[in-house]
Order: sequence, then structure tokens, then C-alpha cells
Amino acid sequence: MSWISRLAARAPVPVFIAQGESAPDALARLALNPAIHVVDSPRAACILLISGRIPSALADCLNRLHDQLPHPRATVLWQSHAMEPFSNAVEVDASDDIANALSATFADLLAGDRPSEADILPDAPPNEWRGIGPHGQGGKGMMGGTPYGRPMAKTDDDIRDGLSLDAYTADFGPFLPMFPAGLALTLTLQGDMIQAVTVAHPPFEGDTAARERLLRLLGLSALALRSLHGQKGDGTFRRLVRLSRARAAIPADLGRLPDGSDVRSRFDAMVTGLQTAPASDTDMTLGDLLVGLEWHEALLVINSLDNATLRGVCARMDAPPDSTNDATHADHDMHAEHMG
Amino acid sequence: MIVVLAILGLFAFLIASIWAAATLDAVCRGWIAGGGTVSPAFTPLRTAALWLSQQRLTTEAPDRLNALLSIAGYFALGLVGLALVPIGPDTTLIALPTSVVAWGACESLVVVVVFLHGWSPNAPLALIGAYRYVAIGLPIMLLSMFVLIAAALPAQSLDLRDIVTSQSSVWNVIRQPLGLPLFILLGLSLTLRGPFDYADSADLAGGTSVEASGPDRLGWQIARLVMLTGFSAVAASVFLGGYLGPVLPGPLWLAIKTLAIMTVVIGLSHLLARMPVARMMGLIWIGLLPLSFLDLILAGVLAL
Repeated sequence: MSWISRLAARAPVPVFIAQGESAPDALARLALNPAIHVVDSPRAACILLISGRIPSALADCLNRLHDQLPHPRATVLWQSHAMEPFSNAVEVDASDDIANALSATFADLLAGDRPSEADILPDAPPNEWRGIGPHGQGGKGMMGGTPYGRPMAKTDDDIRDGLSLDAYTADFGPFLPMFPAGLALTLTLQGDMIQAVTVAHPPFEGDTAARERLLRLLGLSALALRSLHGQKGDGTFRRLVRLSRARAAIPADLGRLPDGSDVRSRFDAMVTGLQTAPASDTDMTLGDLLVGLEWHEALLVINSLDNATLRGVCARMDAPPDSTNDATHADHDMHAEHMG
Repeated sequence: MIVVLAILGLFAFLIASIWAAATLDAVCRGWIAGGGTVSPAFTPLRTAALWLSQQRLTTEAPDRLNALLSIAGYFALGLVGLALVPIGPDTTLIALPTSVVAWGACESLVVVVVFLHGWSPNAPLALIGAYRYVAIGLPIMLLSMFVLIAAALPAQSLDLRDIVTSQSSVWNVIRQPLGLPLFILLGLSLTLRGPFDYADSADLAGGTSVEASGPDRLGWQIARLVMLTGFSAVAASVFLGGYLGPVLPGPLWLAIKTLAIMTVVIGLSHLLARMPVARMMGLIWIGLLPLSFLDLILAGVLAL
């Protein structure tokens, strides 16, 4: 063991969390442990922590996620169920101390006592090469084509000003740290603007980390950690939120629901710890809420909704796009996927 | 011989300041999070060692050349900023009669290297971060231009050495009270921090860095801290009188003032919320740019 890995072994354990259904409540508070560093991207992690039950529909995403961790890597299953590709993973029960298990696995990994896990999926494109031309650019100038199942971006009218810009369709989720756990969306983006959205997988029931995610989205990750302490009447927390001008940073009228609430008012309710109104009964779809918004704004809207409302909104399907739109997006039905 | 010593001194200062910045960051974070931190002074070293021993993963068809160029470029731009700063009367590593203009060029090139860093992984979240940074980069550079020209007016020179000497009676931070706060906002943007972190933000899971692993991640984070050092040293010289000060030797004063600016930048990056990019665009064009222009007019009137 070289001096560099000895030094590395004493670093906070970088963990990427893949949260499944009915994950333990203690999962959110894991980030508070100074020995653990919960990271935003699988590329920055050493350990993939799978917590809760992963529905079989998301198993492929999980496999792809696993392969995005750099070597040396290991998987830890926490109150999860056995899954075939993860037969070598460390299993942690409700009665065990998760932080100790993570630290021990990390130490073994860096000492070389535990072999780094191999790829689950073959290192090959998930789809056949179907592009035309040497770079799969489609053949018609620089446009069109679906090389390896990924449609090339095609120009489409920007819904704000009608400028023709490249539109790009891809799946986002279900393990993105800034999404509610389980949520996977197929988004058509023009730059950073949402042009179309369909729900590929709804968020799991019982998510309670919206406040923490909202604070992180506002660039206040340290305050987000503080919010996890969950102490009622933490005056310093409320003072720091006021000082941060977070309220003013949220655009007015963003994500307004029929009950009159918007992201700002829902944020207020979250940080003051007031009981939010029960799930608002709305017939809005996710498309109604997100289309036309910029990426950051769209994420603020998604994370400002309570779990029941968001699940309701996701359950309602958007009206199918009209026929002209259909023609434009004809080769967009196969799409790239990100972050598993 | 003196040149060799100066270069060695520069790197020694750089290493010390990178370590100090990383430690300050951890302490500040721990204080706000309310949980404290375990050995914040050693955690950055250990994490760096970990990144060094992790695999360098790349995406499918990345632009490797530009990925390396972006890291090296960001590092170099911060280093140039630091080398432009005078450490005594007429003593500076890069002696230019137009050093403020050279720093301005470094600022604008940061937009290019950050864009390249987001471009090179060939991935959507990184690319969104890259484009967004460019959108905010233009107006924030304009702001910096006004503020720096205002600071050059009392010295009647574009040379950082003259700007420091012109502050022997009163510092620019007092003479031009709008200047330093506006310049610090630019610093937040140049170092991708807090309210101006439009490139590597949490809503993009790390933005331009989302796909970086192992040594690439380490290189980028170090380059960010080098830029923080370069920016802080320039800000300390332009607004806080640089090496000027009683009793202590000049370079020590410069180091103290650089550290003070750095602490403010790091503190603000944890304390201030970040707004969506369109709202920030409005704030810069409608609010901050007129303020920086006012700063220039006031400096001009005073200089007459």
C-alpha cells in the first residue's frame, strides 16, 4: 500500500446514493456524517450505495449507473433486496451501522483487500449504429440520423422567440441527486430550456427531502446540510436563510398552482417549518408546469411540490403532441439516457 | 538568481494559499452546516490523494485535448494574475505597463476555458453549464472593466504597480466604495462559486465537472483555487493597497490582504443564494452594470 493510498484511505468516503422505494429514513441524514461525503455524480464516488427497493423497471438504469463509477469501486446494499448483478455487494441490515459499513468497505477497497467491481454491462453502444455518413450525422447536411440510438439534435423553433435552435431529447433520472428519488423524465431541451416533457418513471412515495434539495438548488449546500438536523426552532437556520436572499432569488410567480401557491410561497412554508397545505387538487400536468422554463427554474418547480402533489401531477399524462409535432420528432422516439 | 527565488516564492505562496482556501472552505461549510468538521486542514489533502488514486473515466467520444487545455488554461490564467501583482515598489514577476489590461484579458479567457471544460466531456449537463457560464460571463466582464478603469484613474496608469503606489495615502476601497463589492462579485464568477456558480452548480449535478473523475477532477479543483488566489491578490492590490502597510514587510501585507479577500469570497459563496440565470442576467444589466458605471463616473469626477 503506497503512501498515497494510505493518505487517500483517510479521506471522507465518497458515496453516490441510488435511492429506491421505502429507503430508510436515516438515508437523508447520512450526509451529516463528517466521515461520509455524499457526492453529486457517480464519477466522483468510490461507493455506490443502493438503499431501498429498486423496481425492476429501473434495474437497467442502476446497472448503467454502477458502470459510471471509476475504479476502485464497490457497491453497498442498505435495506435493499438481492439483485443478480450485485451478488458481491456488501449487504447492510437495519440493525447495522451504515457509516461503519461504508468506511470499512472503503478501507478494504483502497487497501486492495477487496477487488474493484467489474462492469455489469458490456462496454459497447446500447444500440446499433444507424447513422448515415462517417460521423452518423445523418446525411442531410449536419442534421438528423440516430447514431447508436441517439438522435442527433435537430433545429426546432424556440417556443419563446421562434428562433430555430437545436432541440435534443434525452432521459434524465431516476437517480439524479437533484430530482426527487425515482423520478425519471424524458425531456426535450433547447439549450437549457424545457421544450417537452414526459414522465418515464414517477417519483417514489414518501419522499421528504424536498427542502434540502431546494436549498442545494439555490446554491446553499451548507445550509441544506443544516436543514437536515431538523431541529424545530433553529433560529440561526432561519436567519441564515433570510440573509442568503433565497426568497428574492426565486422568480415571482414561478410554478403557480391553481391554489395560488408558487415556488416562493412553498419555499417559505418549507423553511419556516409550517405544515404545508395537503396535496393540492390540480388537473395540471408536468408539461403545463415545466414547458418553457429554463433548467434551473424547472428543477425549483419540481422540488417545491410536496410528494403527493408531484405524484398526482406526474400521473396525469400530457395530451399527445399534434401531428405536425409528431413529424418533427419522428426520429426522436429513441433517445439517449443520462445518469442511468 | 532573484528571478528563480521569486518564482519559487510564487509557487510556495500558491501552495500555501490553495491549502488555506480549501481549509477555509471546509471550516465555513462546517460552521454553516452546524455540524463542525473533522480535521478540515487535512481533509483537502486526503481527498486530493483519493482523486489521484481513482481511475480517469471518460465519456464516449470526449474532446480530450480541450479537457486538458481547459484545466491547464484555468491554472495558467490564475497564475498569470498572481504574477502580475507587485510585491514591492517596482517589484513584480511580470512587469507590464498595462498589467490591468493583461488581467482583464485573463478574466475574459476564463470564460473560454470554462466553456471548453463543459464542452469537452460531450455530455448534456456539462454543456448546459458551459453555455450558461458564457451567457453570464459577458456582462460580468463588462462590469469588471468599468470597475478596473475607475481604479486606474487616480493612478493615471494601467500599471498595477502605479495603482498600488497611488493608494499610499488612501486605499481605493475607501476612495471608491462601490468598486470592491462589485469586483468581489466578479471574483465569485471567475472562481465558479456560490451565487455566480453558473458552470458547476448543483442543479446540473456539478455542471462542467459532472463527468470528471480522478486526476481530472483534482486538476480542475486546484485550478479553481489557483484562480481564487490570483483574483484575491489582484483585488488586494487594486483596492486594499497591496503590499503597502506599516512595520511588516510588503509581501506579508500582500499575503494578509489576499487571505482577507479570499475569506470574504469563500464566505459569500456559502451564504448567498443563486438565482436562475435569466433573473441574474436582469440583475446584472439593470442593477449592477449601472452601479459600476456610477463607480466609474464618481472616480472620474474625483480624479479631475
